[in-house]
Amino acid sequence: MAIKYRGAEAIVETRQWLGQEVIFKTRNKRGYRHPTLEKKLVKERLRSESRILERLISHGVKVPAVYSVDTSKNCIIMEFIDGITLEKALRGVNFEQYLAKTAKLLSLLHSLNVVHGDPTTSNFMVTDTVYAIDFGLSTISNDNEDRASDLRVFLESLDSHHSEISGREIFLSYYSKWNSSASVIKSLKILDLRGRYNLMRG
Amino acid sequence: MMRRTLNKIAIGIESTAHTAGVGLITSEGEILSNQRALYVPEEGGIHPREAANHHSKKLPDLFKSALEEANLTAADISLVSYARGPGLGPCLRTGATAARAFAYSHDIPLLGVNHCVAHLEIGLLEGATDPVLLYLSGANTQVIAYAAGRYRVFGETIDIGIGNGLDKFAREAGMGFPGGPKLEKVAKGDELLDLPYSVKGMDLAFSGLMTAAKQKLDAGHSLSTVAYSIQEIAFAMSCEVSERALAHTGKKELVLGGGVACNSRLREMINIMTEERGVKCFVPERALCVDNGVMIAWLGLQMMSTDYNITEKDNVVDQKYRTDMVEVTWR
Repeated sequence: MAIKYRGAEAIVETRQWLGQEVIFKTRNKRGYRHPTLEKKLVKERLRSESRILERLISHGVKVPAVYSVDTSKNCIIMEFIDGITLEKALRGVNFEQYLAKTAKLLSLLHSLNVVHGDPTTSNFMVTDTVYAIDFGLSTISNDNEDRASDLRVFLESLDSHHSEISGREIFLSYYSKWNSSASVIKSLKILDLRGRYNLMRG
Repeated sequence: MMRRTLNKIAIGIESTAHTAGVGLITSEGEILSNQRALYVPEEGGIHPREAANHHSKKLPDLFKSALEEANLTAADISLVSYARGPGLGPCLRTGATAARAFAYSHDIPLLGVNHCVAHLEIGLLEGATDPVLLYLSGANTQVIAYAAGRYRVFGETIDIGIGNGLDKFAREAGMGFPGGPKLEKVAKGDELLDLPYSVKGMDLAFSGLMTAAKQKLDAGHSLSTVAYSIQEIAFAMSCEVSERALAHTGKKELVLGGGVACNSRLREMINIMTEERGVKCFVPERALCVDNGVMIAWLGLQMMSTDYNITEKDNVVDQKYRTDMVEVTWR
């Protein structure tokens, strides 16, 4: 048993379970929260994460399979994707291929009305293909603005960690292969123009 | 990190919003004076021009009383620092004009600094070295941390600042300005109303929460219960995004800043969160959390400590001077 990550709402560990290495994602208590809020948030998020993963799996999307959900321990037991993060993979020579696969994966999520919520380069795993992980902040939505906000998060993490490659153009060109992408990219432009994010003077 | 040989004294002028402030601090971190005057609108929210008029009336006296309190004259000052932005245009221009007048008439170097970065840097005075800053004020609600030469905004409000939200609700509930402290006083009980909890990754939103809270009040819930619920929800959101930033950056320190950081319940919740996470928490005293001239002076000194080269662009104001536009050369 090894703790892999201690996030803002859950502890992610690898454990042996039924003879194989799996991920235990446990939403542990936050003492600062009002008990009613604690219960509500944990229940909602546990349910939403496991449902979204199941929906994606049933459509053959590359995400961790859910093995079991333990509501008494607020824990999801899921497939351990044994690879390297996209963040690391993008430092190698095959970065264009990985970006293409990630763009395709994200457009597939969006076409299934799933918005990831936090698609940074650390939330994709690269094995022989690319997997999306950590659906803790995901929602079901077909709103182009939500999708655009996913793109924005991804492109920002590309720009801040991988300024050496022109990943933005490559990513968007592959994302644009999805036939509903035009309106998402339009929303992205509107989002970028909004007050808090833009640097337009005046 | 002692690069300075002489103990220099800076004067800082703050005038981004409601507060006109003049502060004096030495490069050793000794606070010599922290003079403040608060503009309180007769009704409604802040009126930029009225606030600027208030500041221009108050600033000369604030300069005087700051120097008197520290028992100094202009000749003892080696830097005039003022808040260049972000903030309300008329207020910023008033502060900058006062700063220029003082600097030019006494032949002292003049430097405009970033208000948000000043809130973070004053936290370092408490002993933090590489923290995440949770900055909760009227107009600004940001989670900031240092990465690759800049203070980056990891998360922030996508609609209104938390303090503006609290003020707006308090105003609609007939409580007047400043609303945050008034709400804190009336917040009582342990009943949590069902109000929107709006966190998207490291970003948050408050306008829906405040609208729903007003509806609860109109529906007959007591003000004390609604105020209590607003605090519980809004502060839990703030705790969650700052914890996510801590997890994301791997940093081990949290600094609180901004006027809302004066709230006792927020401080309590942040203390619980940081303790559970094993992270050190630094909360500046209340007079340094709110807008003040001391932090502006302190940031000026930090920037000058590595022979910062002042150019013309450092002597203007910028309403939209974002945190991540500042190149951090002093650390």
